[in-house]
Amino acid sequence: MTDVILDQVEKRFGSFTAVHCLDLHIKSGEFVALLGPSGCGKTTTLRMLAGLEFPTSGDIRIGERTVNDVPPGKRDIAMVFQSYALYPHMTVEQNIAYPLKKRGVPLAERGAMVSKVAELLQLDELKDRKPKQLSGGQQQRVALGRALVRDPKVFLLDEPLSNLDAKLRAYMRAELIELHARLGRTMVYVTHDQLEAMTMADRIAIMNEGRLQQLGTPDEVYNCPANRFVAGFIGQPSMNIADGTLDETARFRAGSFEIGLDPERFDTRPGPVALGLRPEAISIGAGPIAARVRVVEPTGHENIIILETDGLGALTARTAVQVRPTVGETVQCGIDADALHLFDGADGRRRNRDDSMVTQTPVGERAKVKESQ
Amino acid sequence: MKMSRRILFNVIAWGLVLAVAFPLFWMIVTSLKPGFELFRRPPTMLPETVTFEHYWRLLSETPFLLYFRNSVILASATTVVVVGIGTLGAYSLVRFRYRGRESLAFLVLFTYLLPSVVLIIPLYLFMVKLGLSNTITSLVIAYTTFALPYALWLLRSFMAGIPEDLESAALVDGASRLGAFRDVILPQLLPGIISTALFTFILAWNEYLYALVLVNSDGARPLTTGVMTMLISAFNIEWSLLMAASVMMSVPLIIVFAFLQSYLTRGFGAGAVKG
Repeated sequence: MTDVILDQVEKRFGSFTAVHCLDLHIKSGEFVALLGPSGCGKTTTLRMLAGLEFPTSGDIRIGERTVNDVPPGKRDIAMVFQSYALYPHMTVEQNIAYPLKKRGVPLAERGAMVSKVAELLQLDELKDRKPKQLSGGQQQRVALGRALVRDPKVFLLDEPLSNLDAKLRAYMRAELIELHARLGRTMVYVTHDQLEAMTMADRIAIMNEGRLQQLGTPDEVYNCPANRFVAGFIGQPSMNIADGTLDETARFRAGSFEIGLDPERFDTRPGPVALGLRPEAISIGAGPIAARVRVVEPTGHENIIILETDGLGALTARTAVQVRPTVGETVQCGIDADALHLFDGADGRRRNRDDSMVTQTPVGERAKVKESQ
Repeated sequence: MKMSRRILFNVIAWGLVLAVAFPLFWMIVTSLKPGFELFRRPPTMLPETVTFEHYWRLLSETPFLLYFRNSVILASATTVVVVGIGTLGAYSLVRFRYRGRESLAFLVLFTYLLPSVVLIIPLYLFMVKLGLSNTITSLVIAYTTFALPYALWLLRSFMAGIPEDLESAALVDGASRLGAFRDVILPQLLPGIISTALFTFILAWNEYLYALVLVNSDGARPLTTGVMTMLISAFNIEWSLLMAASVMMSVPLIIVFAFLQSYLTRGFGAGAVKG
């Protein structure tokens, strides 16, 4: 069992705190994506797992072992870097064999192991080339090969696809999903690309400003965002969020817009709140809201329409291809009342009452780990 | 217009080349002329009779070879010390985070603000105290003090160009810090090391002032001061021998240069484009 556990891990650089009190339990064999905007602490977290940075406080466990003081080479992990970090003076074969050499694997066995990986990644023909002579995609595969070759317990991937062009990236995404299924190893994948996180990961840990915002499956983070940040970050185009107030009768008001909220489904204490609406929850054609069409973006399989309304401000709607209003036209819009998200005006927390799925800060998990010790 | 401009540039460029090259040409020619042809008027551009007698005399009758040996030891030892300390120092300045790192790097350059003449006497007294006066070691130490700051900066810019990820990757792959340094950093740093080594070697090979003050016995004297004291006296300058000695002094440098020239020019461009 190689669970990866971060227990109240904190990392400070001087007076700057890169990671705040992070609790994360990655189960054995799981593919977890660390997702967030740049500077959110995701790469620092990964580097702490790798042993390239040391936590200021807290514990990191890989498998049964606390690895706080274990150097990177002894953690039984492999890492793929965003820049690939291939050794420029070594051939492809030497690059892939390097981790084996450093672990004292006899020369004879090394050759066979390298060949196996090279075959798996279709690098056979390129074994004698230097990294400079390879295309981006090939370099990427060599970096992957170097990680695969000694069959580590945990794979750490730091935005491995971000230097590839769009087509290759889609291809490698599929490759990585397959690879994970085949190897069944724990993988931690850092990315700022939500598409990568949503399509590849079993669970996504969304981070912002050094704090974990939500840990959940792609479904959970999309359908039940734990707070306003997650709601705005996940989804393309992103969720429409309008600020307003709730009155004593559980009615939400924003300018001239008004809607009653069901106290069964929402925490309707009065005060400032924000209402969230996914673009697909807005329908154009009939409904109570009058809106002016500002932009129409046809994508081929759907249309993205940006509307201007009185109370809710700018709204982005996603419609079927047939629905294609003209720019400047005023249309009537409807809202799917079942798809509303309510966020607190002060701390941004989710105020829907369906939150049994949401595992925001996994306090319970931490307690579990402590018990099992 | 464009044509005449190009011609003008060419004339100027070749004029400069000739101005620089002529003394070298004259040095070689003089070393090959027999004594009686030296002061002839008008001077002969090419020797009428070519002779190697000056070279022979230099090698057989004077301590030239001893000085030569001293210079080789001196320049090589200085190079090894400077490159060794410089590489590790540059690594520290680039990779480790500690208080005063940047100011330290700048402080090191301050040594160049002092005219070297000012430092000679203190350094001399220092060497006497250490019991090193009149030794090759004293010169190695002296040269290290003024080659090291430049070497440190040169290597630092090379080191900064090596992505940190490479080292991180080596660490994750199971290398120790020293192992990663040897396997990954050093091979990447090679051009920097070579140009630093060349710079240091040339500096140590050509240095005159410190050698004159710190060393005054034949056993430790390098070529520069050796040749001067041997061939130049108050009453006479042995021009032919002097020129022959100069040629033989230049030959090692020219050979080294010819092989490593591309590295040297790359070194001077380092830091201009980072990454």
